[in-house]
Amino acid sequence: MENVVTVQNFRMDFGPKTVIKDLSFDVKKGEIFGLLGSNGSGKTTTIRALLGFYTPTSGKLLIDGKPYNPEGSNITVGYLPEERGLYRKETVLDNLIYFGELKCLPNPREWALKYLQRVKLLDKANEKLERLSGGQQQKVQLGITIMNHPKLLILDEPTKGFDPMNRQLLMGIIDELHREGTAVILITHYMDEVEKLCDRAILLKDGVAHAYGTISEIRKQFNGKSLEQIFVKVYGEDDYA
Amino acid sequence: MHKKTDANRNRSRTFIVAKFEFLRQIKKPAFWAATLLIPIFLVGMFLIGFFSERGDLSGDVTPDTDTSIAITDEAGILPADAQFVIDGDREQGIEMVKNHEIDLYFYIPADFASTNRIESYHIVEGLDIFNTDKNIIKGILTQYAIQKIDPVDVTILTGSFEVADNQLTANGELSNALGEAIIPLIFLVTFFVLICLFGNRFLLSVVEEKENRISEMVLTSVSAKHLIVGKIIAMLSLGLVQILTLVLPIVIILFIYRDNEIVTSIFSMIEIDPASIILSFVFFIFSVLIFAGLCMFIGAITPTARDASQYVAPVIIGIFCPLYFVQSFLAAEPSFLTEFFTFFPLSAPFSLMLRSALGTLSLPEAIIGLVELGTLAISSIWLTVRTFERNAINFEIVKPKFLWKKIF
Repeated sequence: MENVVTVQNFRMDFGPKTVIKDLSFDVKKGEIFGLLGSNGSGKTTTIRALLGFYTPTSGKLLIDGKPYNPEGSNITVGYLPEERGLYRKETVLDNLIYFGELKCLPNPREWALKYLQRVKLLDKANEKLERLSGGQQQKVQLGITIMNHPKLLILDEPTKGFDPMNRQLLMGIIDELHREGTAVILITHYMDEVEKLCDRAILLKDGVAHAYGTISEIRKQFNGKSLEQIFVKVYGEDDYA
Repeated sequence: MHKKTDANRNRSRTFIVAKFEFLRQIKKPAFWAATLLIPIFLVGMFLIGFFSERGDLSGDVTPDTDTSIAITDEAGILPADAQFVIDGDREQGIEMVKNHEIDLYFYIPADFASTNRIESYHIVEGLDIFNTDKNIIKGILTQYAIQKIDPVDVTILTGSFEVADNQLTANGELSNALGEAIIPLIFLVTFFVLICLFGNRFLLSVVEEKENRISEMVLTSVSAKHLIVGKIIAMLSLGLVQILTLVLPIVIILFIYRDNEIVTSIFSMIEIDPASIILSFVFFIFSVLIFAGLCMFIGAITPTARDASQYVAPVIIGIFCPLYFVQSFLAAEPSFLTEFFTFFPLSAPFSLMLRSALGTLSLPEAIIGLVELGTLAISSIWLTVRTFERNAINFEIVKPKFLWKKIF
């Protein structure tokens, strides 16, 4: 199957500190890929390097066969970063329309209103973003992430701060895009989400892959244990002792 | 064809950023408060000046007809039949005030010539801090004093005569250096106003993305180049709105007083030298871009507005430091100091614009200046784009060594 993301021999140093050591993996078209690891394992760094925020010390990070450029990419990319923020002093609608225009949506206003109706925020359309609750703001950010029907969707801890209802809504949206052929990179600490949603995954620890493959291959590697047990085994021995 | 579509799309992204940034600022009451404050202040100052001039009794201004006045002139300055002069003595005059027969009483003592002192009496209610008694008696006495002097002497003493200033160049031709400098100096003043009004705004326009953690969302939708250029366009458009708001009352005032002697003399003095105007305009554009680039660069290397603002003051001081040595710029021959300021990157914008206005810039200096400012303008914007691209998700101050590595 065709690769949407290719990471080859990726190494990332921050000054004297090596954060990622010779990491290689790929994400295939239409699959949901789990990028797993504890805090500081290098997941977000990998995504940031993939999207061009960091220059890798060595190695290749490609989206659709070339380094990512928001204005020159052949495929549409949606990214929900870990550090979330929007224009707090502007209205919900203005935020959505602005990003809609940047992402070349044919009718950003119409799309924004439909989306707000779907996520039950239509009555907040003309409110300043800062007046919305954290969960409501996340829904707006999610809308911006998916508004251009991305062929690659990168979600960095998307359910962080979501209540069960909103989590359900998010899972529904991911599932919908997946069915439309979108490749999804899911960074999460919830192993149940990974087992339920992901086709393949990679488990990072200190910038090194400790497990990589389909969920069943990973489980087989660790004698049929659940992902949560595998996570605890990989990290637990020294970090969580 | 494909490339052309991409170019159009990128141009449109720059426009989208510019439109968004422009509209969100122009909708803010704080923007209009800051914009209107200066014209209101200017109009206020003009009106105060205008009315205080009208109230000045140094000439032939007469007191209010509703005010009843009496004067006892023991010094014999005024003719006996002069208006307001009474036969009564000081005590009688004060009594008239007390009895509300008159509003204002002046007593000019016999020894006025040696004491230069006149007494005034009137009834007050509350605190009278804006007492105009002196102006009233001054007006009355001046009117009579002028009648005794030769009109030519009056003209000389009041200085109400003109001096037609004919300045000659070294070649003996009639010079109009000030008239030639007026339009180029307008660019310099506009640059000064823009910096005062917009330094912080340029800075905040970049810091905001970092401070509110918007950088990652934005930079996956638009490139740093189009974002920064869009922001510069928006800020300059806002600057234009502010400048126009500032200039409009001045234009209206000039239009109202178009027949005024001073206004017509200023307009008749203005000399249009296209080469000098074009040069000054290009210097102005480059200078604004350099300043915008520097402010945005500071925004790109610092994590918060608070951190960023402490770095802007040195930039502004650097840009305007030639102002402290303006005397040396007025000399016909440039000194070492003026040459240094002319080509030192930070002080070059102001110095080049000033020297271009004063006509002390030689052709080679103008060419070097143009190349220097153009290079600095492009470099500062490139540096900002590059820094924002590389440092957009860094939320702490970076050491210069690491920053250098990141950017290059």
